[in-house]
Amino acid sequence: MRAPVLVLLLLAATAPALADDEDAAALLLADKTTATAEQSQDWRVYVETAARESRRQGAGLALHGGRASIDARFDKTFAPGWRAVFADRLDMNRMDGVSGNRDINTLKEAYLSWQAQPDRVADLGRINARNGVAFGYNPTDYFRAGALRSVVSLDPASLRENRLGSGMLRGQTLWNGGSLTALYSPKLAQQPSDSVFNPDLGATNQRARWQIALSEKLTKTLNPQWLLSGGAGQSPQLGLNLTALPNDATVAYFEWSGGRAVSLAAQALGDRDDAAFRSRLSTGLTYTTPGNVSLTVEYQYNGAGLDRAGWNALRRGPPAAYGLYRGLVANLQDSPTRDNVFLYAVWQDALVKRLDLTAMVRYDAVDHSRLQWLEARYHWTRVDIALQTQLNTGHSGSNYGALPERRLWQALLRYFF
Amino acid sequence: MKFERFIVCALLIASAGVAGAAPSAQAILAASDAIRNPGKPFALTVTLVEYRNGTQVDSNTLTVYSKADANSGQFRSLIRFVAPARDANKLMLKNGNDLWFFDPASKASIRLSPQQRLLGQAANGDVVTVNLAKDYQAQIAAEESVLDGDRQSRRCYKLALAAVSPDVTYHHIEMWLDASNSRPVKARFYTESGQLLKTAYYRRYQPQLGVERPTETVIIDGLDPNWVTVMRFGDYAWRDVPEVWLQRDYLPRFKPE
Repeated sequence: MRAPVLVLLLLAATAPALADDEDAAALLLADKTTATAEQSQDWRVYVETAARESRRQGAGLALHGGRASIDARFDKTFAPGWRAVFADRLDMNRMDGVSGNRDINTLKEAYLSWQAQPDRVADLGRINARNGVAFGYNPTDYFRAGALRSVVSLDPASLRENRLGSGMLRGQTLWNGGSLTALYSPKLAQQPSDSVFNPDLGATNQRARWQIALSEKLTKTLNPQWLLSGGAGQSPQLGLNLTALPNDATVAYFEWSGGRAVSLAAQALGDRDDAAFRSRLSTGLTYTTPGNVSLTVEYQYNGAGLDRAGWNALRRGPPAAYGLYRGLVANLQDSPTRDNVFLYAVWQDALVKRLDLTAMVRYDAVDHSRLQWLEARYHWTRVDIALQTQLNTGHSGSNYGALPERRLWQALLRYFF
Repeated sequence: MKFERFIVCALLIASAGVAGAAPSAQAILAASDAIRNPGKPFALTVTLVEYRNGTQVDSNTLTVYSKADANSGQFRSLIRFVAPARDANKLMLKNGNDLWFFDPASKASIRLSPQQRLLGQAANGDVVTVNLAKDYQAQIAAEESVLDGDRQSRRCYKLALAAVSPDVTYHHIEMWLDASNSRPVKARFYTESGQLLKTAYYRRYQPQLGVERPTETVIIDGLDPNWVTVMRFGDYAWRDVPEVWLQRDYLPRFKPE
């Protein structure tokens, strides 16, 4: 009996002497901490199952579906200066009343990297070469065309992650405050493939392409990236990525691409050659509140997309032309109309620890249609559960009103090995 | 190791000026920086364990590579997330207020504002090392005895630190440094309006890279004292960090052995 009394007496004598009792309690808690540092892994593997319910535009019966996925990423330095990267995802979809019930494997990346010196690197293989500082629309992400093979979520983060890289040879040289990257992506196949395990080089390497990227730090905080990209059947496009920090809570960004190009309509319908200098732009701000809610507002301009008159005319015209146009724009991950607004909000540890809320609105300023998406994700150490909902609204034939589903619910369970 | 001890001693002696005079606050702060921060490029592992109301709610492991800027003396750091699995191999670059986050899965390099936190309670600047004497003007506010992180009474200089540069994480800081050896003991961090943001205790001193350094920082939230983060530092090692690594464009390349 004496020992506990002694401890209490000691504690009683010590605690008040601290600046405050809470500090003493915190230090006692720290004394009991036993966590040890974990070791890094070359593999990151997770499995995911999803159940979804959707309703088509114009109401109707609810459609149900399910998906099971396995996603693996391997990144290993296997000899000094040599690195191997492999990333793959298999989606197994089952959906009521949909003919496209199929399994889709996405070979995202598979390449070797050789770093001969700290400032010289060469890569060869399928690489997800991604550019752009904007969130919802990346005009300088030149290798996004044809890269989506399986869309499991419209969250921009998911679209960036779950896509095909392109086969290429890439070299980079770096110096203090800057770098120069050049890549060449040859034509490797004629046609995209629907076959489950096909690497689908026809989707990403249907024509030869190249890109040069130059970064140079101009001041302590200004570090623009210039890009020049081209390929068979297109004029070179110039690109610029720029970020700034107006204050401690705000990041401003500017992404632009421009060059001589035909309009998307001419490209889809092949009915005219209207090549002219066209710009694409995505610029915005991300503001973070003291409570760690990050709010992004972004304006998107697509000079190759249709203006109001052209868009209205296409919607009223032959359905085949409309279908061709939408199909091309979706494949290019571009915008069908000229002006769009994108809102994105992320609240980490929303109300309770480990609960993240993400909301997104895509607003088409030309036809006033909207896509609204919301996700609540709770995570433990190895398990995520998430509930997502999406609502597409707008007039018939509008950017988002024409999407087949009006309302969609999806529940996800993800387990990390 | 001898060199670092020499630096600490030299700073103290230089600050003392004539024999018997009190050392200058700035020199004490610089000496304390030299205790927290190795003098050459280095790497270490940081384990963060977060508690709410006495219950562990989160845990992260990070590897940090740091190198001081030859001109400013301030550290630039590359941070690699090791655990949990969902965050493994994500990266962060901190070069002053130039903060970038990179996710190898999406290849997205995203610029962060200093207010964006990726690690719960800990500000991004908390997990990397900082030379306070470079960013803050110090004054000796008092010489007093305080209880340290091991509940031992310790004679300390209480320094009042005021930010001299706007791009720092905290507007002003109260810091208690052991009067006998300049070891950091405790600090309180404030906003511009004077609100207490957090209290930190530096403890578990162990020999690391030649100097007795604190291997644990206990952070207590200023508004909610039941919100506690324990940061443990281990696996200290000298590491070459080439200048070309410390930029956005190197993030996709960063793959430490």
